[in-house]
Amino acid sequence: MKGNPPAAELPGLAESLVVFARSSGADEAEITIGDGSEFSVDIRLGKIENLVEAGSRHLALKIIKDMKTAYASSSDLSQETLKHLIRNAIKRAAFGSRDVCAGLPPPTTEVIDIPSLNLFDPRIKELEAAKKISLALDTERIALADKRITNSHGASFVTNEVTTILANSNGFSGSYDQTFYSLSVGLQAGGTDDKVEDYWFSTERFFSDLESPETIAKKAVERTVRQLKPRKIQTQTVPVIFEPSMTAWLLGFLFACASAVAVYQKLSFLADRLGQRIGNDKITVIDDGLMPGKLGSRPFDSEGVPCRRTTIVENGVLQSYICNTYAARKLNLQSTGNGDGTGVSPNNFYLVPGSPSPQDIISSTKKGLILVRTIGHGLNSVNGDISRGAFGLWIEDGEVAYPVSEVTVSGNLEKILNQVEMVGNDLEFRGPVCGPTIRIAELTVAGE
Amino acid sequence: MIAFEDHFHLSRAELRKILDVALSRGGDFAEVYLEYRIYSFVNMEEDIIKETAESICLGLGIRVLSGDMTGYGYTNDLSLAKIEKAACSAAAIASGKAVANPGQFKSVQQEASVYTADSPLHLVELKKKIGLVQEAYLTCQRSDPKIKKAKAQFQDQVQYVSIINSEGLFTEDARPQARLACYAVAEKGDRKEFGFSGGGGRIGLEYFSQVRTPKQIGQDAAEEALKLLEAVDPPAGELPVVLAPGHSGVLVHEAVGHLLEADFNRKKTSIFWDKMGKKVGTPLVTIYDDPTIPSFRGSYNIDDEGTVPKKTLLIDKGVVTSYLQDRLSARLMNLPLTGHGRRQDYTCPPIPRMSNTYIERGQSDPGEILKSVRKGIYTEQFEGGQVEDSGKFTFTISSGYLIEGGRLTAPIKQATLIGSNIDILQKIEMVGSDLAFGLQTGTCGKEGQEVPVSDGCPTIKISLMTVGGRA
Repeated sequence: MKGNPPAAELPGLAESLVVFARSSGADEAEITIGDGSEFSVDIRLGKIENLVEAGSRHLALKIIKDMKTAYASSSDLSQETLKHLIRNAIKRAAFGSRDVCAGLPPPTTEVIDIPSLNLFDPRIKELEAAKKISLALDTERIALADKRITNSHGASFVTNEVTTILANSNGFSGSYDQTFYSLSVGLQAGGTDDKVEDYWFSTERFFSDLESPETIAKKAVERTVRQLKPRKIQTQTVPVIFEPSMTAWLLGFLFACASAVAVYQKLSFLADRLGQRIGNDKITVIDDGLMPGKLGSRPFDSEGVPCRRTTIVENGVLQSYICNTYAARKLNLQSTGNGDGTGVSPNNFYLVPGSPSPQDIISSTKKGLILVRTIGHGLNSVNGDISRGAFGLWIEDGEVAYPVSEVTVSGNLEKILNQVEMVGNDLEFRGPVCGPTIRIAELTVAGE
Repeated sequence: MIAFEDHFHLSRAELRKILDVALSRGGDFAEVYLEYRIYSFVNMEEDIIKETAESICLGLGIRVLSGDMTGYGYTNDLSLAKIEKAACSAAAIASGKAVANPGQFKSVQQEASVYTADSPLHLVELKKKIGLVQEAYLTCQRSDPKIKKAKAQFQDQVQYVSIINSEGLFTEDARPQARLACYAVAEKGDRKEFGFSGGGGRIGLEYFSQVRTPKQIGQDAAEEALKLLEAVDPPAGELPVVLAPGHSGVLVHEAVGHLLEADFNRKKTSIFWDKMGKKVGTPLVTIYDDPTIPSFRGSYNIDDEGTVPKKTLLIDKGVVTSYLQDRLSARLMNLPLTGHGRRQDYTCPPIPRMSNTYIERGQSDPGEILKSVRKGIYTEQFEGGQVEDSGKFTFTISSGYLIEGGRLTAPIKQATLIGSNIDILQKIEMVGSDLAFGLQTGTCGKEGQEVPVSDGCPTIKISLMTVGGRA
């Protein structure tokens, strides 16, 4: 039987493996350990469907020798396996190619005050399973009380507690604890052959910040029933309003294109565009890893680079790519503290809100589509093209007239960013990538 | 086959004890899923072998079923104390008296293996894998000066699973999987386009000399990107659509496969729940899901519940004939198992999933199908798709052609097609005799779990479908 070391020994394990890697011949080494525990309950039609409670650990390592890089990872944290993986990685590195950009970030003296980031809610240790189950049951029960709801995908309550430990041979050693709570419900309305569906959720780091079962249930019901009896529309080019979740989706695509990894790989249309206009002056996009309590905040990235606030787009002009250490070296830039393995991930990546309310935006639209959901693939970072299946609400004279389904929207990210006419005031940090309601002057909506 | 004890260090007596703990509060069924997976990865870009990686996944999941409820616990700490803790977590779903376990485990004899790895890739030295990557990369990069960027990646793994349950089942599998993929970016003036190709499956090294060579993969990725440089925006609106054989199987995966997964039908959330035995498509439509096709990416000897899978007829001449079952849904629906209970890894309970899904060949000559279309689109390469339980689905093509006057004319760029599944099944007008399967590189996601799949279809004509191009 194989056992794992106790949690208190994990930072020491990471540091000792760095030493072991160096003494085994690595020029540089980085060890990351994730130690997580999960509780999740899915309930459906008033009964528990799934109950999961578990803990797991994962170790990832990076070895650099002669400017050649090798990676390994394991969920088996026995000394024997880990030492074997390190020795193997050093051997494998020899098969790689010399890469002058390879290597750890330089040592840093900058220290982020972790407690002030509010990443951990101690209440997670006390919250009883019965309470978690009842929150999920309440949410679904309230939603099902609405007669228009005909079936349920169920409600879920999930908690996660994660410790991240990082040590490297440039002297970095750090760790931080995070908590996440999530409550959600998915619903259907209509009969078998004219079903519509949607969901709503709340995810927070602090239990006390979660939306109530009433709020989530009400929102899920409203989002579901508003799609009943959809119509198809004629193919046309019209103004399109993005709800905040759709703006978040669009910004997720912008993030992928502004990733320095995609840029140096020539997989982004934003390559060679720093300092240039990529949108109109309504577009300002920030990535900020240091906002207390927000879902994307963290003290340092996967390489130990301190997180920070970076202006990505300012009044339409591309100011910065999102960099890890390697991509930054490739492009002769500085890491922005967005490292995530060999890629990058967002901290809190958001579109700065404007002044009109979402209602103002709808009221001022004579004819157009509110985009509420998209499905499918259809994002091409190489040229910025977008093509997705869409669900929406048709607007006539500033009011919602009827729901629309079985249409697709297509356009191009740069064109869209240049055609943003209104930016709403309703920014909420519901995830690491977020934005307010926006209106695009025109997009092609394909229907009949 | 690797010895069970070598990785998991658990005796049969200990396994019985773990199952006893799992059923200590009652329940109908308990199961231990042990997984050991070794994975390797080689990435080449910017003319260098940029990185290699190796990964080990070791862990155990314990499931207890009680009525329609599932309790699940997992751990990657294989000390008996931690395993028993996971068993207690799973047991928490039930609230009755302890249930006794069987005294003896029965090992299940499997029939012929569907894996065709003569030279198992996890035993092949790294140098040879690097050789495959370099060949694909260099072929792609050197095929045309307009190719400005190439990237090639090789991944292989072997996944050892052992499944032990309270019905006395003790079964094991060692599943190989490999994938070589090549990406290309072509540039001409301001235009940049992307191409992809790949190959793989439950295969060994011999595949890359006998079935699909790195040269072909590199060449195909380059050609795709080059073709798109000349491509026009597809038209927008409702048009006849002809699906090319092979990759277009994504449509059947999205439009039909997912909604025939038993869990959605047991819960009556799928549009198909009340349509068993009913006609939903034209008589030309016959659809199978077959986990037993040798060497295919979605194939397996046993599913992740230990069931030996069967080729499953889902739609017979337009009529719904079967759902894709796992144990939980099969028992609750009182239907036979089909061997489609799959999971991403030990941290996930199994759920009904597809394997290799395809539309059976028909009678029409592919040339005649094209000739019958005056104006429409021909879908060739796919990025993927998505479906909702309501039957609304999309799939996105990365390339295709316009059809004008019964002939393929200009290549077209990325477009998303959207439809309602039963509506589309009723609009299938012609089915070709040329069944083919797509690249063996696909992955399907459901409820956060990813599993390898493949799909296929012959040339198919859909009379009308909404195409999301530019007006």
